[in-house]
Amino acid sequence: MTTTYTYLIYLTISVALTIWVARTLHKNGRVFLVDVFHGNEALADSVNHLLVVGFYLINFGYVSLALKLGYLVTSAQEGIEALSVKVGMVLIVLGGMHFFNLFVFSRMRRRKPIHDHRPPIAPDAFTAVKQEA
Amino acid sequence: MLSLTVLYDPDCGLCRRAHEWVAEQPKLIALNFVPCASDEARKRFPLLDHDLTKQDLTVIRYDGAVYFGPKAWLMVLWALARYRDWAYRLSTPELLPTTKRVVSAISQNRYQISRVIGTS
Repeated sequence: MTTTYTYLIYLTISVALTIWVARTLHKNGRVFLVDVFHGNEALADSVNHLLVVGFYLINFGYVSLALKLGYLVTSAQEGIEALSVKVGMVLIVLGGMHFFNLFVFSRMRRRKPIHDHRPPIAPDAFTAVKQEA
Repeated sequence: MLSLTVLYDPDCGLCRRAHEWVAEQPKLIALNFVPCASDEARKRFPLLDHDLTKQDLTVIRYDGAVYFGPKAWLMVLWALARYRDWAYRLSTPELLPTTKRVVSAISQNRYQISRVIGTS
């Protein structure tokens, strides 16, 4: 019975954490995306939403896969230890995903059209060019 | 009209392959390919040392600026929409010596490389 409770507590904490991080990302990522898409808010909202969906899928997928303990929990101490390992892993995965999202945002921000028209390097010499008639 | 004239070696398989690849890339600047030391090249650039252009790739800008060897390769990269960033990156003071060494090594051994990859 204790094992089942441990699972339920694990699920509650993981799901709550995932939702909290996803909402934070959704709320604060929007400003970035609006800038990336040059003020096109509809496109920014759409991309933002798609990113959050991917975020949920990966995290819930991980939470679900990592659920099984493999042994029976017999005391409250064991339950808390099991929870600490499982929730700790979820937190690290969430952190990794969060930084990956930030990386994607910053990459998108950097991708601006080419403004630079300077040649990369100085010529070796100059020669006369005969214009075609 | 901004454009670059590329004097390439028509006898080298690797160069022909590179030419085909460049021809397919989206460009920011027009590239005209002219075989090096050909009549057309001599007619268009009467004062250029055409024997030198046989040794390595040469690029001539619309205003007559001449880029030779590794610099010519960088100018070709610079003309391509997808690789302009790379032209700047490879020509930074930190990377330029390596770029020059690698490109020169490829250029000097282009006939051997062409033979190995079977395009001679």
